[in-house]
Amino acid sequence: MVVLRAGLCPGLTEEMIQLLRANGIRTVVDFVSSDLEDIAQKCSLSYKALVAVRRVLLAQFSAFPTNGADLYEELKSSTAILPTGSPSLDQLLDSGLYTGEVTELMGVPGSGKTQVCLGIAASVSLGLKQHVLFLDSTGGFTASRLYQILRARSEDGEEQAKALQRIQVVRVFNIYEMLSALQELRDHLSQQVVSSMGPLKIVVIDSVSAVIYPLLGGKHSEGLAIMMQLARELKTLAKEFSLAVVVTNQVTRESSTGPLKPALGRSWSFVPSTRVLLESKETTWEKATTQRVASLAKSSRQPTGIQVELDIG
Amino acid sequence: MQREVGSLPLAPALRAKLVAAGFQTAQELLETGPCGLSKELGISKEEALEALQVVRQECHGDAARTAGGSGTTRKCTALELLEEEQAQGFIITFCSALDNILGGGVQLTKITEICGTPGVGKTQLCMQLAVDVQIPECFGGVAGEAVFIDTEGSFMVDRVVDIATACVQHCQLIAEAHQEEDHLKALETFSLESILSHIYYFRCRDYIELLAQVYLLPDFLSEHSKVRLVVVDGIAFPFRHDFEDLSLRTRLLNGLAQQLIIIAHDHKSASHGFRDVQPPAVTQNAEDTEMNPRKRPRREEEK
Repeated sequence: MVVLRAGLCPGLTEEMIQLLRANGIRTVVDFVSSDLEDIAQKCSLSYKALVAVRRVLLAQFSAFPTNGADLYEELKSSTAILPTGSPSLDQLLDSGLYTGEVTELMGVPGSGKTQVCLGIAASVSLGLKQHVLFLDSTGGFTASRLYQILRARSEDGEEQAKALQRIQVVRVFNIYEMLSALQELRDHLSQQVVSSMGPLKIVVIDSVSAVIYPLLGGKHSEGLAIMMQLARELKTLAKEFSLAVVVTNQVTRESSTGPLKPALGRSWSFVPSTRVLLESKETTWEKATTQRVASLAKSSRQPTGIQVELDIG
Repeated sequence: MQREVGSLPLAPALRAKLVAAGFQTAQELLETGPCGLSKELGISKEEALEALQVVRQECHGDAARTAGGSGTTRKCTALELLEEEQAQGFIITFCSALDNILGGGVQLTKITEICGTPGVGKTQLCMQLAVDVQIPECFGGVAGEAVFIDTEGSFMVDRVVDIATACVQHCQLIAEAHQEEDHLKALETFSLESILSHIYYFRCRDYIELLAQVYLLPDFLSEHSKVRLVVVDGIAFPFRHDFEDLSLRTRLLNGLAQQLIIIAHDHKSASHGFRDVQPPAVTQNAEDTEMNPRKRPRREEEK
């Protein structure tokens, strides 16, 4: 809904805009969808000029189709598959995290979502030597645990230090801070500023429900609007800059005995293309165990319902 | 700044008007100026000015961050965080078994939750922690102050006096055994009166008072910068009964949790909430973290 302004395209002058506005045409959509002969008469403007302006506006603002073969070629050259650091999880995700997509990890508190995120960050930073952006909204990011994971995977102290430096952690505790952190990322990437951020391939957000939950519900749909804003930002970031986006989410139940379902509702369920549910094998807390079960709840490539065992220790 | 209008923290009605008028990015808003904005949207000039101030603040915050300024941002690499964490102390509980499973004690900048059935000792533990946070650094403590938010009314001052006296005696025994100068110096200021005067007590009778207190806490903490522990005794109690709207309860609790996380992180304190659990489950919510690689040397005897 772009407002018509002078200079939007050559030939669109200020007086033209005033005349159009006087006749109720304020935005590009109004202009393009109206009858130009009619307008030429009412505003006493030249029909040719109006047609020229319309052609330029359409070229500027409409989307263009591409054919499937080109799209496939583009995908083949731009998509990367990032290992998560856990072979069984990689198998569940069809060999790893795909860039250009949003992957969601969900589970009850304590099921291991943050641990898996730390494992992914360690694997990408150490194994692939790529930069990682970690948005922490729960305060659950513990650098000492990350260091422990890195130590388990590599013996070289210098490599561990370099891997730690490649992981950038931003603490965002409400939705607006998260949106502005993502905006900052977008500016960095589009200007290709090679500052502290080197080649970035993955953004991990832990967790997305912590910042959205306080806004949802109630009589106003404000929370829903902001949530969709975040969803759009994540998906466009993933697609435009070929990033893999990993988010974590909570789970809720319909009633006290119903099955677990992901939080944030139906609108959010369209955002991730892959959803993994993490559960603990034991039902009580008495036995301390690092074994978890990961099951595929939504995927565009694999059959859902497959389960693997995971060790988050 | 190509910040989308929908992602700016403006009032919903104003946002709806902006979108209807065709504004898409923050840049367009700033270019239009307050007079143009008030004309196009049909709002007063003061409202337009306020809105533009908010937008400018957000965008300048972004610009400062892009230019590399630190300011209020919470951005760092994992290596820097590791160094920070390793330099941080723990609040010891004087029970070595508990300290062991917590990985050294109650962690700063994190939230620890204690759950249990009524009568199991949660308030006692919290009172102990409120005293332990004040132990001087030469004895292995963090030399901080404590905020105690009580929703159940179970805070007993005479019991705190007992705990504090025992703590002072324990430190005196250590000082006598080791005979070091800084120990004796610290003991001069570490007395019963000073311990009690550094526990800031708030009584909240319902959930509104609790929410208000937690939201006002950052201001209090910026005045009292030595506070290292915030205890919320009975976080579930005000939300338990008389709450018809369950989704409101979830929302409030989540907002409260985020606010506590912000307080814990920004003021480098440990937030300590705890709740009752319906019997029979006694759950332990402390995460089993590994030992700190550079463990602080403990100079007291283990009890």
